[in-house]
Amino acid sequence: MTNPTSDPLPLAPDLVPGVRIKAALLLVLLFSLLLAAGLFLLKSRGFFDPTQRLVLVADNSEGVAPGMNLTFSGFPIGQVRRAELADDGSVRILIDVLEKDARWLRESSIFTLERGLVGGTQIRAYTGILNAAPLPDGAVRPVLRGDASAEIPKVLSSVKDLLNSLNALTRSDGPVMATVSQLQTTTARLNGPRGALGVLTGSDADARKIIDSIERTNVLLGHLAGLAQSADGVARKADALIGNADAQVFGPRGLTQDVKVSLGQVNALLEQTRASLKKVDAVLVEAQGVGANVRSATTDLGPLRAEVEASLRRVEGLIGELHRKWPLARDTEVKLP
Amino acid sequence: MQPSLPTVSLLALAVRLPWQWAVRLASLAWRAACLGVLMISPASYRAPYGNAIASRLVVDTLPLLAGYAAFSALLSLVITRIVVTTAVTYGLTQYAMEVVIRMLVLEIIPLAAALLVALRVAMPNSADVSRARRRGELEPWRARGVDPLGMVVMPRVVSGMFSSVLLAVMSSVITLVVAYLTVYGFSLAGLPTYVWMFGKVFTPAVTVVFFLKTLLFSLAVALLPMASALDDDPNNRSRTVAELQAIVRLLVTLLMIEVASLASNYI
Repeated sequence: MTNPTSDPLPLAPDLVPGVRIKAALLLVLLFSLLLAAGLFLLKSRGFFDPTQRLVLVADNSEGVAPGMNLTFSGFPIGQVRRAELADDGSVRILIDVLEKDARWLRESSIFTLERGLVGGTQIRAYTGILNAAPLPDGAVRPVLRGDASAEIPKVLSSVKDLLNSLNALTRSDGPVMATVSQLQTTTARLNGPRGALGVLTGSDADARKIIDSIERTNVLLGHLAGLAQSADGVARKADALIGNADAQVFGPRGLTQDVKVSLGQVNALLEQTRASLKKVDAVLVEAQGVGANVRSATTDLGPLRAEVEASLRRVEGLIGELHRKWPLARDTEVKLP
Repeated sequence: MQPSLPTVSLLALAVRLPWQWAVRLASLAWRAACLGVLMISPASYRAPYGNAIASRLVVDTLPLLAGYAAFSALLSLVITRIVVTTAVTYGLTQYAMEVVIRMLVLEIIPLAAALLVALRVAMPNSADVSRARRRGELEPWRARGVDPLGMVVMPRVVSGMFSSVLLAVMSSVITLVVAYLTVYGFSLAGLPTYVWMFGKVFTPAVTVVFFLKTLLFSLAVALLPMASALDDDPNNRSRTVAELQAIVRLLVTLLMIEVASLASNYI
């Protein structure tokens, strides 16, 4: 560096080697950063991207501000430039849509302006038919509004009604307090001398009756136990009786032996009966033959009868002939006067 | 009843003190304006002053660059993580990046850069000049026919301004890169959305306010301490008191600029 003086002076510039180059580099760094920041800003503002205009018509511009995004499937594809009032009082929202993203907007696209409870207003585009005709530049479309905060008064009204109902239920003379009071009475009676029985019957007298019934039932059960003991004795006697009967029936000199002998005799009787029946069968065979003969004879009686009847008719005819040829034959003809 | 003597002197003091304060402020503003005019004057950068300015730029700015770059990267990383994690907790991730850009790039980083330059560059430089003036060390410059204002004072003013602007711009760029990497990682997938979000935040009005704020921060940091150093204290107070007063004055000015920018952006 060049120092105008030969001797060092107070606060004289520091002797830094290559100071001009370093200072130039710092300046280059500063201007490079400024230039990069400026280009980035222009790029981010869409200065280098061609856009097309879309006009959305709404009835209210509340929540709409320049710089808001128009999103399609969550991706920003356009930006609100400004909102203005139209001649008919409606709101015109002017949106610049990037031309490279404008292909997502079609003639059939629907635009919504949604306002949630949390966060800002959002403009969204929905395209159902992607092969419909593309949206032209400067297109004017209505926008559907959805305002969650508009539901708040309705919800508050419902909550108020609910709270009123709750207050009515829980006030001192309300049904809930009455129920609690009765429950308290019931609990006191449960803890009383009659306990749950008193609660179930509702009065001490009825509870007393039930307790008396239980006591009587206990007595009855005692009697039933005595009866059961008697029945036990009877059963023992019956057991002995059955033992005796068994000996009488199945013993060596019991009824069973006699029955066996009788069965032998019955078998012999049956043999004789079978022989008699065979003879009867033979008689029946003969009777069957007789029957057959009678049937054939009966069959021959028909023609015989026919012959007899023919003979009789001929005899009758002969007698008639005799009457006609006989001199004393009567005039059989009836003459009318 | 006639007012007593102490009452009269108190009333006179009540009138005199604000008047003196206003006169000093006006004097200070006048000196700062003169320095500003000198700064934009091409004659201030001609030889032999150009070399002195280049020397101060290198001496004052170069040592700060690496440290402040690391600091701003760390600060950006921490604040971005806090904001993004909080936004995820409340399901407001779509606003996280906008909040990060608004908070860091628009507000914190320029203010931090201005404060750093004020404390590391501007205040020590102004203290040097003030001490030299008190000791009459600038007289040899005049004796040799060199204007000490151009040779001693202006390089320090220009250096303060340059450092403030460079650190603010550099740390803003670093913050943008760190915030993107923190949220999207080493992937270009989020770049279109990020660029879009940046453009959404930096509307023309916000950009102008940001530019003006950074410029005013730099001017305040460069000019006010030096104007205080060139001011002759009528009360002849100690050097430490004068420096503290200069620091307070600078901080109040920076705060007022910040409040004004906030009011411009959000009111």
